Amino acid sequence: MEILKCEGVKKVYGSGENQVTALNGIDLSVSRGEFVAIVGASGSGKSTLLHILGSVERPTEGKVMIDGTDLSRLNQTEAAIFRRRKVGLIYQFYNLIPTLTVRKNILMPLTLDRKKPNQEYFEKVVNSLGIAEKLDALPNQLSGGQQQRAAIARSLIYRPALLLADEPTGNLDQKNSREIIDMLKLSNRNLDQTILLITHDEKVALEAERIITVEDGRIISDQRRR
Amino acid sequence: MWQNAYGLLKNNGTSSLSVRIAAFISALLLSLLCGLFYNTWKYEVERITQEEGGWHSRLYGEFTEEDMETVKNFANVKDVVVNEKGAGSAGPALDIYFDDMGSVFSDTPHIAQQAGAAPEKIAYNYELLAMYLVRDSSDPAPRLVFPMFLLITLAASFSLIVIIHNSFAVSMNARLHQFGILSSIGATPRQIRTCLLQEAAGLCAVPILAGNLIGIAGSMGLIQLSNTLLGSDIPGRHKSVFGYHPLVLVLTLLVTIFTIWISAWIPAGKLSKLTPLEAIRNTGELQLKRRKNSYVLSLLFGVEGELAGNALKAQRKALRTASFSLILAFLAFAVMQCFFALSGISTRETYFERYQDVWDVMVTVKDADVDAFGEIDRIREINGLESAIVYQKAMAKRIIAEEEMSEEMKSFGGFSHAPADDVTQAAGGRLVDAPIIILDDHSFLAYCGQIGVVPRLDGAVILNQIRDVTNPDFRHPDFMPYIKTPDPRENAVSILRQSGNEEMTARLPVLAYTEKVPVLREEYATINYYELVHFIPVSLWKEIKGQIGGAEADSYICILGKENASLEELNGLQDELGRILGGNYTIESENRIQESETNEKQIQGMMAVLGGFCVLLAVIGIGNVFSNTLGFVRQRKREFARYMSVGMTPKELKKMFCIEALAIAGRPILFSLPPVIILTGYMLKASYVEAGEFMAEAPVAPILLFMLAVLSSVALAYSLAWRNVRKISLAEVLRDDTMM
Repeated sequence: MEILKCEGVKKVYGSGENQVTALNGIDLSVSRGEFVAIVGASGSGKSTLLHILGSVERPTEGKVMIDGTDLSRLNQTEAAIFRRRKVGLIYQFYNLIPTLTVRKNILMPLTLDRKKPNQEYFEKVVNSLGIAEKLDALPNQLSGGQQQRAAIARSLIYRPALLLADEPTGNLDQKNSREIIDMLKLSNRNLDQTILLITHDEKVALEAERIITVEDGRIISDQRRR
Repeated sequence: MWQNAYGLLKNNGTSSLSVRIAAFISALLLSLLCGLFYNTWKYEVERITQEEGGWHSRLYGEFTEEDMETVKNFANVKDVVVNEKGAGSAGPALDIYFDDMGSVFSDTPHIAQQAGAAPEKIAYNYELLAMYLVRDSSDPAPRLVFPMFLLITLAASFSLIVIIHNSFAVSMNARLHQFGILSSIGATPRQIRTCLLQEAAGLCAVPILAGNLIGIAGSMGLIQLSNTLLGSDIPGRHKSVFGYHPLVLVLTLLVTIFTIWISAWIPAGKLSKLTPLEAIRNTGELQLKRRKNSYVLSLLFGVEGELAGNALKAQRKALRTASFSLILAFLAFAVMQCFFALSGISTRETYFERYQDVWDVMVTVKDADVDAFGEIDRIREINGLESAIVYQKAMAKRIIAEEEMSEEMKSFGGFSHAPADDVTQAAGGRLVDAPIIILDDHSFLAYCGQIGVVPRLDGAVILNQIRDVTNPDFRHPDFMPYIKTPDPRENAVSILRQSGNEEMTARLPVLAYTEKVPVLREEYATINYYELVHFIPVSLWKEIKGQIGGAEADSYICILGKENASLEELNGLQDELGRILGGNYTIESENRIQESETNEKQIQGMMAVLGGFCVLLAVIGIGNVFSNTLGFVRQRKREFARYMSVGMTPKELKKMFCIEALAIAGRPILFSLPPVIILTGYMLKASYVEAGEFMAEAPVAPILLFMLAVLSSVALAYSLAWRNVRKISLAEVLRDDTMM
């Protein structure tokens, strides 16, 4: 079942002589439960693609459908609500709210919707990510690896259609990187979570079942590994 | 490099505007303060010169021309003037003026020696010299005017540093990343600091000059306002003429530059010490060191309330001045309003309303005895005059025997509550004060008629009442008879004694014991409750004044005009009285309506000054809020980006902003209300004004207006900040490598 579909997605920044084409006709389809890695050199357009998929930016041209929602038609408020409910974003630098505890950070998407968490699911997520003991701490009291786990927990709490991870291991040591990738794989396998991982690390990319290579704003290869 | 860095700052509109506003406000306030202080100082010097003279030191005694020449020839002596009458009872004197006031205390003893004057014949114009900061240990008075000016200026400078350094910090932090790069390629901390300070100087030059000029204009306006409000109606006040010395401008500029320099130096010093990595990463985001919960805001407004509360806690240091200034401003304003409202009610009831039908014009005839005053008939002929009473006051003593005391007085303990200064034990009873009110014969006879006594001029009427001293409510006192009223068939007498020489006595027939007093603007037994007041005619006074004495130097004329007389009519009466009395007597006169208006003006003047102080405090607080919010985009864009990245909508973000603004403006109000209520309650208790009466005139409107002004200003600061925040591009912030 298709959960993500991009058709002729183009993104252009600036105008006239300063015009830069970040994405130049991206066509992409991802099915539910897939673990996809998007690789590419710096400036290839992979982060722009992730921002468009996360409704952070709008494409200049083309259509992006996620779980039946056309992202190009969303206004600012609808995009924010979409981000909250339909996609989980994981960043290289975790992006946790420093003034809230880990628990509140994780529950933030639900809290914004005035929804109560499913306690069983919450516990399952925090236990599987190994941060149950750190729920009452502030983010700056945690290690980088722990903060990234909290960020993953937050991205999973709403059971989003799509999990978008932008260089999630870029700021971590080898051991923590390994653990984070294992956790993403675990959530992919156990929760049937669709994951789109952006990385420039080939070793990380090889953990995915599908690798898409982006260059100069275009998809130049799309390989399924198994 | 530095020109380039300055260009960066100039291009950074929001933070450079914040710095410019901060510099402008500082210059404006300091210039206003210095201008006002200079003019207050000038006014005081003029006042002292008018009242005491402009001399620096003075030698009492008779001096020859030769002595004068000797003094004149003394180095540093500018002028010597013979003062025949200015020295008062001490006799003639030589007034000495110096070129350099600083040597007055060392030179005058030598001058005195050469002129043959003993050291005890030297006097110094301490008050005037203190205005030039020339002090001597032999002057016991504190003379705090000038030191107070300096202290307030220093306090203002310090407060401004505390407030505006944050604006500089925000502006400098905005380019921390760039300075990190400069540092990484070898710029020394000193070079970075110099660069930051040069930028600050470049940005602040014009606002400092503009602020100073507007401050001077403002001080001129305030001096004019004080002249308009207070005029010269207040006894002893002369018109203040605005002046401005170039040295004041130089000093003001120096204080302003010092204030702004220190404000810029504090953050510049901190930033220049950061390592290149710290500077490049620019991690100076608002953080909480410990976990804190915003229960109230969270409960009231949900997650937005919690985030707003946490953000305020993280900004606590930056907003400390705002919170403190706003609390103080609101507290001072509300208490001042309540105080003046209460004071107004009290003055109106105890003075203006109480004496409305008692007097219209009061004349004090200086150094005149009532028994020698012969103008009363001419005064009574003045057109538009209802009545005129001439009277003089004298003080005598009287012994109250135990058996004379009324039963009511005995019931509250007799003299047992009396202070030793008011009542003393004497042979035959207690010796008490017996003030004598000596009325002109015509008025005394009329008074006898009023109280229903056969009019006679050979006796006294005794005010036979005493206040229940156990009831401290001065607004609703309980009165009771002081002494037993003798049988009317007996010829009662009152034996008055000379104050200080109680052996000297005079026997006065008592015409009546009464609780009614003549229509005079006088209060009886208000300080010393145990006084036994005697009203006597001037004819009787002539007979007993040899034995009793104790008369005050001045006499008074209490005049009642026609009913509902206007101010013009009362002014006319005053003019006519001046015409009749001015030739023979030195008089001071006041009229009721004028006094009421002057009183009103004085209160308005005081309220304007105190209100201005409160507004200044509020402006400092609001300035701090503005300087903080104008730097929001730089300082908090990551925070906002985080909220947006987890799905916070613009509406929710705006709600969070509104809660922050409400908390900043509302907290001082909430914190101030309990002390305002307690203090007002205390004032109500002390003034014995009833709560209902106060509530009917409570200054709700001005307090609400002040509250609204503070709320609106903070709301404006946040709405301006919101305009900038909504422009933040989430994608741009997320693209920033340094986002952590």
